[in-house]
Amino acid sequence: MSLKGKRILIAKPGLDGHDVGAKIITLALRDAGADVIYTGLRKSPDYIARVAADEDVDAVGLSILSGSHHTLLAQTLDELAKLGAANIGVFIGGTIAPQDTQALLEMGALGVFTSEMSLNDTLSALEAALS
Amino acid sequence: MESPPRLSNRRALSRALTRASRASVADCLAAVASSPHDPATRIGITGPPGAGKSTLIARLAATRLEARARMAVLAIDPTSPISRGSILGDRIRMDTVAEHPGLYIRSIPSRNAHDGLADNICEMLMVLDKHGFDEVILETVGVGQADYEIRNLVDTVVLVLVPESGDAVQAMKAGILETADIYVVNKCDCAGAEQMLHDIRSVVDYRHVEPGEWRPPVLSASITDDSIAELDEAINAHSLWRDDHNDADLHRRARLRYHVESLMSRRVAELFDEARSDLLQRPIREVYAELARKLGEVL
Ligand SMILES: Nc1nc2c(ncn2[C@@H]2O[C@H](COP(=O)(O)OP(=O)(O)OP(=O)(O)O)[C@@H](O)[C@H]2O)c(=O)[nH]1
Ligand SMILES: [Mg+2]
Repeated sequence: MSLKGKRILIAKPGLDGHDVGAKIITLALRDAGADVIYTGLRKSPDYIARVAADEDVDAVGLSILSGSHHTLLAQTLDELAKLGAANIGVFIGGTIAPQDTQALLEMGALGVFTSEMSLNDTLSALEAALS
Repeated sequence: MESPPRLSNRRALSRALTRASRASVADCLAAVASSPHDPATRIGITGPPGAGKSTLIARLAATRLEARARMAVLAIDPTSPISRGSILGDRIRMDTVAEHPGLYIRSIPSRNAHDGLADNICEMLMVLDKHGFDEVILETVGVGQADYEIRNLVDTVVLVLVPESGDAVQAMKAGILETADIYVVNKCDCAGAEQMLHDIRSVVDYRHVEPGEWRPPVLSASITDDSIAELDEAINAHSLWRDDHNDADLHRRARLRYHVESLMSRRVAELFDEARSDLLQRPIREVYAELARKLGEVL
């Protein structure tokens, strides 16, 4: 498995203050060969989109525990498009109810990775989505 | 809502930097030939891991943006030799200034470079030159005692040290401690800062300086005070000094030499990657001759 040469931004939108999950995926991506940038806590979708565009990442991962994933995904995709960066994919991780996954994919998420998935499955799925 | 970015073609710039960072040696050579732009003023910030370089850059950039419209920060972090991945953690320290519309920050993995810089850093700096920044700040990876190549890329080298780097200073005496233009003892809110300041001053201040030569200041700094104004002024003073005293031709040649050396070492790496797997079964003279022959082919 290799994400070598891929640039990935891990972002934490929303108000919850737990970033253990974000840090675990950051390390796992680095170990899979990716160059990973982490934004830190409580960032707005327009801030995240601007960092993603400036850093020219291949994908942004939104780590969301607060339940507002539909809104945050929609806003992030919207802001990316405004910046001429609609080619940057957005994936979602965190606590997401199974019935929400399909809706998020239809909205344009590159992937939805719940905390129940193994890290290996997450990384393989991401690699497939980015290749 | 923040005001719209003053850098109009931000997205184009960020794509161009990606292309430059990934360009083969042949593509780099083609790009150099077609773009002679005046270089932006460049400040290099270097020093041991965790010395507070990124935090300092955030404050410095905020101050210098008061007098400048467009600034860029290129921040390099190390590539893991095992996974070849990286965590680019400099930006998170620059949160306080990251939303300034005139500032562009880019995080860069060092990849194969072992000198505190990154593969194709010359090409990336040239992209910034083309986009007309007033000033560029370059952060090296946390460096050891012998990584002073940054000197060849920037106009002013700032070496950031911390109280706990006491032993490192001993080791550095003969290396980078002779080549910085400005010394900053950072984290002066921590114990041991006075001793550190004294140690560095004893090395730097007692060095013989010819009349007209630059005498590097040794500053103290900390996030808890307004020391950044002093650093800002020291950088301006060094720029003024350079305008009158710097040997521009010598500097240009040093930059050119560094650029050619980096291209050649990258080309050697490319040749190893392309070589047949039995190349390294052969005696060293043959391997050398084979690579030298291939290097001789014009790209
Ligand atoms: N006490 C104290 N801590 C500081 C100061 N400046 C930075 N730090 C802390 O030092 C740590 C490292 O800061 P960075 O700015 O990331 O240091 P760096 O030199 O860029 O680190 P690398 O890029 O990893 O080599 C962080 O936890 C900062 O909060 C300071 O003036 N005083
Ligand atoms: Mg740093």
